[in-house]
Amino acid sequence: MPEGAASGTRGAWFPRWFWPSFATPATLWLLAFFVVPFFVILAIAFGRLDPIFLTPAPVYNPAGWSFGPFGDVLSQIFSSGSIYQSALAHTLVFVGTATALCLAIGYPVAYFIARHAGRFKTLFLVLFIAPFWISYMMRMLAWINLLQPNGYVNRGLEALGLIDGPVYWLNGKPLTVILGLTYGYIPYMILPLYGTLDRIPASTLEASRDLGAGQLSTFLRVTLPLSRQGILAGLVIVSLPMFGDYYTTTLLAGTRNTAMIGNLIVSSIQSSLVQTGASLVLILLLLLIVPMLYYLRTTERAAEIGRGA
Amino acid sequence: MLQHPKDRRDPLSRREFLRRAGATGVALPSLAAILAACGDDGGGDATTSSPGAGLQLARPDNPVTLPITDDNPPIADGLSPEGGPLKIFGYNDYIWKKILNGFSDEYGVDVEYTVFDTPEQMVAKVQSNGADFDIIVTVTLENVGKLAQGKLIQPLNATYIPNLAANVWDVFQSPFYDVGARYTAPYIVYSTGIGWRNDVVTDDIAAMDNPYDILWDQRFAGQTHLLNGSRDTLAAALLRMGADVNTDDPAVLDEAKQMLLDGVQAMNWKFDHVDYNELGAFDIHQTWSGQIYYYQWFLPKGLDIGSFSYVWPPKAPGGRSGIITNDVFAIPRGAANPVLAHAMIDWMLDQRNAEPNYLSYEGFQPPLNALTPDYILSTGSVPENLANILIAKEDFALGVQELELAPAVNQLYQQIYQEVTGGA
Repeated sequence: MPEGAASGTRGAWFPRWFWPSFATPATLWLLAFFVVPFFVILAIAFGRLDPIFLTPAPVYNPAGWSFGPFGDVLSQIFSSGSIYQSALAHTLVFVGTATALCLAIGYPVAYFIARHAGRFKTLFLVLFIAPFWISYMMRMLAWINLLQPNGYVNRGLEALGLIDGPVYWLNGKPLTVILGLTYGYIPYMILPLYGTLDRIPASTLEASRDLGAGQLSTFLRVTLPLSRQGILAGLVIVSLPMFGDYYTTTLLAGTRNTAMIGNLIVSSIQSSLVQTGASLVLILLLLLIVPMLYYLRTTERAAEIGRGA
Repeated sequence: MLQHPKDRRDPLSRREFLRRAGATGVALPSLAAILAACGDDGGGDATTSSPGAGLQLARPDNPVTLPITDDNPPIADGLSPEGGPLKIFGYNDYIWKKILNGFSDEYGVDVEYTVFDTPEQMVAKVQSNGADFDIIVTVTLENVGKLAQGKLIQPLNATYIPNLAANVWDVFQSPFYDVGARYTAPYIVYSTGIGWRNDVVTDDIAAMDNPYDILWDQRFAGQTHLLNGSRDTLAAALLRMGADVNTDDPAVLDEAKQMLLDGVQAMNWKFDHVDYNELGAFDIHQTWSGQIYYYQWFLPKGLDIGSFSYVWPPKAPGGRSGIITNDVFAIPRGAANPVLAHAMIDWMLDQRNAEPNYLSYEGFQPPLNALTPDYILSTGSVPENLANILIAKEDFALGVQELELAPAVNQLYQQIYQEVTGGA
């Protein structure tokens, strides 16, 4: 075998760089669209502002970085009653509740499709996903029409005698934001759950029953543990974009009491508080690294167990 | 009880505030630095200039002649229009497509329209890529001085804009913010007042001693909206207080902030620009006169334009202060098609284009001599119940404008705004 070559499958051999070279496009992609932009965010957050135009003057040399503005934002997050703290609290509550709702609604749906839809499995899947072929923004705008004081929701509730006058759903109600987030992101929960549940062999479930477990016990002791990776994937896929969401609450609420951290970021970069916005991006990133690392760790452990088995 | 700012002890002069703000890096975004600058250290003279930034801040009693320099001259006379395409950088929906198509046909060029959302976005983009655009539609008054003094826009050559002298109100032939109209030409005028649903709100808001109080009236909590911009939102409180909407007095601004924070808790205000999808969702809205005009085209089923009323406080019995202002056209320095850009300004100041653009699409009134309130009413385009959205040139003497602030003060306005709205 020539020096620098490695054996491949089925007796073929390739240069040592051959297989790693397949990562080149992805590496370049990450460099161009993640690493470089991320460095620009750092350069803005720790850079300067033009003294007249108040536009960002990024500092690309880390030796010249100033951490004052970032420190101000960070300290305000820990200041009781500050807008940064309340936006962060809103974000955690809204995202946590909406993600839980996505799981509570999405799991039975995915379970039904995977286990009981039979030959209509694909049809059901398409039907559940079809509304989401429409853009997120358009669906939220549709919600505005539905939830307006004279919209179908109020008219329906009035017809049923459940309310006397219109409910102002769109005037800063956290419930509206949570339901909007849930509706907007639920397909991203259903799909990984369905993929996981569908892959659980029927023989495994039959074995559980053969060993005396009832339906509930089989679900709790076999199905649920085996779908853990799907649940985790769904939680991560759903919650990560929710943390950065701002237009759901902008469109469906638009008040201080429903503002999320994404709203603060957007309002900052649309004003002269760009450094504040960049600092908030970094803080959000730090916050999201924690669940992401947990997900990666559990995925790795599951893979190790799989290899061991 | 509200206190007029002139009756209040001035804890720190504006000059001193700005000097210390600059010294502590307030030209940068540290709230701590701003607060440090606000610390009481005796008084001093008041001024409307920013010594730190070197900007001349135009005020009606302090007109500014924007400098023309050798390295940023106006274009020469007698040039032919370029081949385009004319690249417009503007607010969304600010010029009717039909009017743009007419220009395109007249000059045989394509027109490309790029949108910005906020004045800050516009400034940032013009600063980094100004030469990519031929004309800005539009610049708000608080940005005129810095764009011109920072040489981001070029002086106009009036010989290409005959309609400016021929058709436009005399107040804009040489406005205080740009003496001699060296860099700008006006596009639209509007007042900022209070709009409400008269079929829901039975109070006669126009007859109130202080109509701004209605924005804090808890009977309408959850049903009252404010405009979403740092200047307009703060102006709601400043005008209610009877204060200057361009104040740089930290104590006044702090009082305004507290008033807004109290309001946001009690009223749960929604902050928006009165987009069409908000119509029918509010009872009361701080709004622009031009915006309320085109409600009629987007009203939800069952809601009639006759259900809306509007008051501009300076013309109400209480005679409170109120905002009246204008947006202006400007041409970025280094624009590839400056002659075409001048032609576009002239095109928009021609009544044959300005009137349909205004009445059939844009909704904001152009300051043309021919378009008097009586004439506009005679067209039947503006409902009688909203006749007071129309502006006569004499109205400018009654109102105030949101004008350019020193950078440090501007930063403070934006921080207060963010604190009040939470970014919503």
